[in-house]
Amino acid sequence: MAAARRLKRVAASQPGFLTLKSNSTDLLSGRRKRVNKNKKKSWNKHSDINDVEEFLNDIRHQERTTGGLLAEKSDDSLFFLDVGQPLNDAQRDKPVEEEPVERKKRKGRVSRPLRIDLILQQDSLIPPPKDVLAYQQPNAKKLRRSAQRLEQLAAKGVVPRKQRQLLNRRPVERTTLKAVTEANNNPNRDYYDIWGQELKDLADPWYLQQTCKKRVQRPERLNEKPSTLPAVEVIAPGGSYNPEFFSHQALLKAAHEVEVVKQKEEDKIKRQLAVNKEDTATMETIFHEELEGLVEEEKEEEEELKDEEDVAVGAIVLAQKKTEKQRKKERALKIKEQRRMANRRMNNRQQQLFQLRSIKASIKQQDQKTKVNQIRRKAKQEAEKSQPRRLGKLKFQPQDMEVQLSGELAESLRQLKPEGSILKDRFKSLQKRNLIEPRERAKFKRRHKLKYVEKRAFKEIT
Amino acid sequence: MGGLQKKKFESGAATNYITRNRARKKLQLSLPDFRRLCILKGIYPHEPKHKKKVNKGSTAPRTFYLLKDIRFLLHEPIVGKFREYKIFVRKLKKAYGKTEWSAVERLKENKPTYKLDHIVKERYPSFIDALRDIDDALCMCFLFSTFARTGKCHVQTIQLCRRLTVEWMNYVITSRALRKVFISIKGIYYQAEVMGQPITWLVPYQFAHDHPTDVDYRVMATFTELYTTLLGFVNFRLYLSLNLLYPPKLDIKSESELKEEDEDDYAMGSESYLEKLSALSASLARVVTSTEEEEAQIDLFPTEDENMEMMEEKEKEKKLLEAQMKIFEGLKFFLNREVPRESLAFIIRCFGGEVSWDKSVSIGSTYEMMDETITHHIVDRPNVDKRYINRYYIQPQWVYDCVNAKMLVPVEDYFIGVTLPPHLSPFVEEREGDYVPPEKLKILALQRGESQQQPEEEEEEEEEEEEEDEEEEDNDEEDQVEENKLKKMEEQRSQGKSLQVKVTPGKVKMENPVRLEQEEKAEEKRLAIMMMKKKEKYLYDKIMFGKKRKVREVSFLKSRNKYSLLWERIHPFDPL
Repeated sequence: MAAARRLKRVAASQPGFLTLKSNSTDLLSGRRKRVNKNKKKSWNKHSDINDVEEFLNDIRHQERTTGGLLAEKSDDSLFFLDVGQPLNDAQRDKPVEEEPVERKKRKGRVSRPLRIDLILQQDSLIPPPKDVLAYQQPNAKKLRRSAQRLEQLAAKGVVPRKQRQLLNRRPVERTTLKAVTEANNNPNRDYYDIWGQELKDLADPWYLQQTCKKRVQRPERLNEKPSTLPAVEVIAPGGSYNPEFFSHQALLKAAHEVEVVKQKEEDKIKRQLAVNKEDTATMETIFHEELEGLVEEEKEEEEELKDEEDVAVGAIVLAQKKTEKQRKKERALKIKEQRRMANRRMNNRQQQLFQLRSIKASIKQQDQKTKVNQIRRKAKQEAEKSQPRRLGKLKFQPQDMEVQLSGELAESLRQLKPEGSILKDRFKSLQKRNLIEPRERAKFKRRHKLKYVEKRAFKEIT
Repeated sequence: MGGLQKKKFESGAATNYITRNRARKKLQLSLPDFRRLCILKGIYPHEPKHKKKVNKGSTAPRTFYLLKDIRFLLHEPIVGKFREYKIFVRKLKKAYGKTEWSAVERLKENKPTYKLDHIVKERYPSFIDALRDIDDALCMCFLFSTFARTGKCHVQTIQLCRRLTVEWMNYVITSRALRKVFISIKGIYYQAEVMGQPITWLVPYQFAHDHPTDVDYRVMATFTELYTTLLGFVNFRLYLSLNLLYPPKLDIKSESELKEEDEDDYAMGSESYLEKLSALSASLARVVTSTEEEEAQIDLFPTEDENMEMMEEKEKEKKLLEAQMKIFEGLKFFLNREVPRESLAFIIRCFGGEVSWDKSVSIGSTYEMMDETITHHIVDRPNVDKRYINRYYIQPQWVYDCVNAKMLVPVEDYFIGVTLPPHLSPFVEEREGDYVPPEKLKILALQRGESQQQPEEEEEEEEEEEEEDEEEEDNDEEDQVEENKLKKMEEQRSQGKSLQVKVTPGKVKMENPVRLEQEEKAEEKRLAIMMMKKKEKYLYDKIMFGKKRKVREVSFLKSRNKYSLLWERIHPFDPL
């Protein structure tokens, strides 16, 4: 800044310098006012710097508009020689035809810059000053120094410490991929000898147990099967595709009996639900009902009254107090009775000595009875082991027996039509063996009622 | 008396049980997850003895578990996996909702999965435990492998089941373990003997499925999940025991035989190997190929006489069994296209036969129909256009009946167009005195090496005798005589069963001492009956009456048997 100002002053002091505004009236007018100028405040107040300001403004203006001081410019750049328009033959020949072409061009011109852009455009010829701070770097000196030092070290062949540490770090083993456990039902999965020799863990079992590294041992109880039934129950011989006559009939009979039981149950329910004909209202009963209470039945009422009186009297009668004499008598009787009973007991006990044999016999009998009961109970328990248990809300429902009637039997293996579904058979077998509880398929429950709305388009039609 | 008042339901049965919902909450699992966990771990609901006590006074039906079982479940690492999966599903849903496809990809890549190996090991500590429980697994796998790939369950599960069942069948073939077959209206029952354990399984007919609606597929899929793991490990162990390669590889020799140019027509490259394996027509590769099948000889130790006898018997049995295992050896079968290929191929190969089929039916056929060395052609249609002279044309039931009879049954009853004899169940074991179908008697006779005609004659004889007996019955009244008669009947029955006694003049002498002995015995018995107390006598009479009734019923059935066909025609539906 200072340099520039100096330059301007120097320029102004030149003999040929022209100011744009030339008013030196101030210098010429009268006497100057005397003011103390020993303070800065008064300097500002009383010294007239307008001339300098004007001068500087002028310089700035020149620089802005022309890009430098006019005085320094060469004459060629300021003036030119006007020699009129140069005329060509072609232009002279067709001055009329040229204009439409130009118009067309104007029409075709893509876009003139908008006025607003023109206004915003910088019109000063002085380039904006450089932002020095943007180019400055903090700690530049230090960084430069360190870079230099590094270069020197590299030239000597010394590796810096940080890099050395990185180099010394053990490489991560990227070769071992994450152990991908494949899905259970992968058709190409491999198997191995699971029951082969096992490597014994050498670690302390207590340690393994406490750190959850050892599996909890399966309780022995869980290895028992919940039912004694075999996994696969072979169908009766009558279920052959080409059965022997009697075994087929036996199977049919068994199936028939199952059906009969079912039918009976159904019939029972039907019977229970049937409407009793006597309970239905007839004209007569309706008439009687309507008459109820209208016709007085005197006789009955009288009887009822009598009954009521009796009941009332009975309730009122109080228990009479016993006399002292009566009490004494009662007590004596009681004591006498007790004695008699005690006597009798004594007698009995003495008599039992002679009944030893019969007593023994009765004890034996009892023992036998308990034994029989025990056996029976045990047999029952055994039988229950092969029965389906009640494991949930629903009881086990055996599946329908697979049976082909004599007419349905296939003549050859080719024409055989399979009966029943094995999937269902397996499912029922699992239920029968108490492996899963019988249950119904979950039903879809709608939480909110469905709302039916007629669409407007539909409404318009109807 | 002082002391604190005892509160109800704070000790005893009430504290030993836990309801399902409480157990579920304790494990922090949803109901399906809980159910799955219980199935996988083998923890089943329990019916308490005193429901009202357990249910704290309420009688509402509930599902109970033993509290200790649930506590045991708490240690299971899979529970954590279930929770992870739950979270995975939640995240996935969110990602889908926000249409963040990259997140969806990433989540799907890191889908949490779990293995059941440790559970199998825990539930079946030894191999034999697993073998005992393999029935269920086999049934389930065979069932799932026949499912259509319609989305009722994962396609992968179906493929895995198919693979495992094929492996199993190949094992049974190689070890010759099959014992019984029964074609029922439901499906085909097989029984094999593996390591001394009888194993029964049920195979559905192909394409027989209608999917029932009242079956919980999720539960079934969970069971299958466990059973596929179990069956895989069992298969591995079984293959190991036979020195076979696992996963199974075809023999080099048979593989080259099976090589065909138009392989690609049948299946994709990835599937064709399994298809070839499932053709069951080729043998499997062994770990050590050079070893011939050496029969292990049982070392004989000089021991006591009784033991020696036992040993001899055992050896005899063993030889018999070996002979039974080779009934189809040297026979060459050809299956027409209408017969169940897989089942028949499986059975024939199990008993040492060779089998082939038309090339267009399935992959893996080994020889053509024109092959002159074919001995049996299995056909299930009323007639065949072109017949070769040097082979039998038989119906498929013949193969099954041969297996059950443990010998080659005469082919005459099974020719084309012949009414087949009934297919009897090999799973029935008749006790003494039960009704035995005449066809079975015939087979029993054949097994003992008698000609076919005799038993019928003997039956007739029997009937005659029975009639005589009835007459006798009328005449006699006393117990003793009845007793005699019963004895006679028993004798006849034993004769009828064994059908061994022939009336020959030379044997009359031999019977004398026997008869004497019998008479003596009868006398003793009579005296014993006389000495009986009244009560015991009553019981005895009752028992004898029951026996007699049974015998009468059986004889009645036998007499009816001849007219049974007639009867059936007249009254097709009612039981006799």
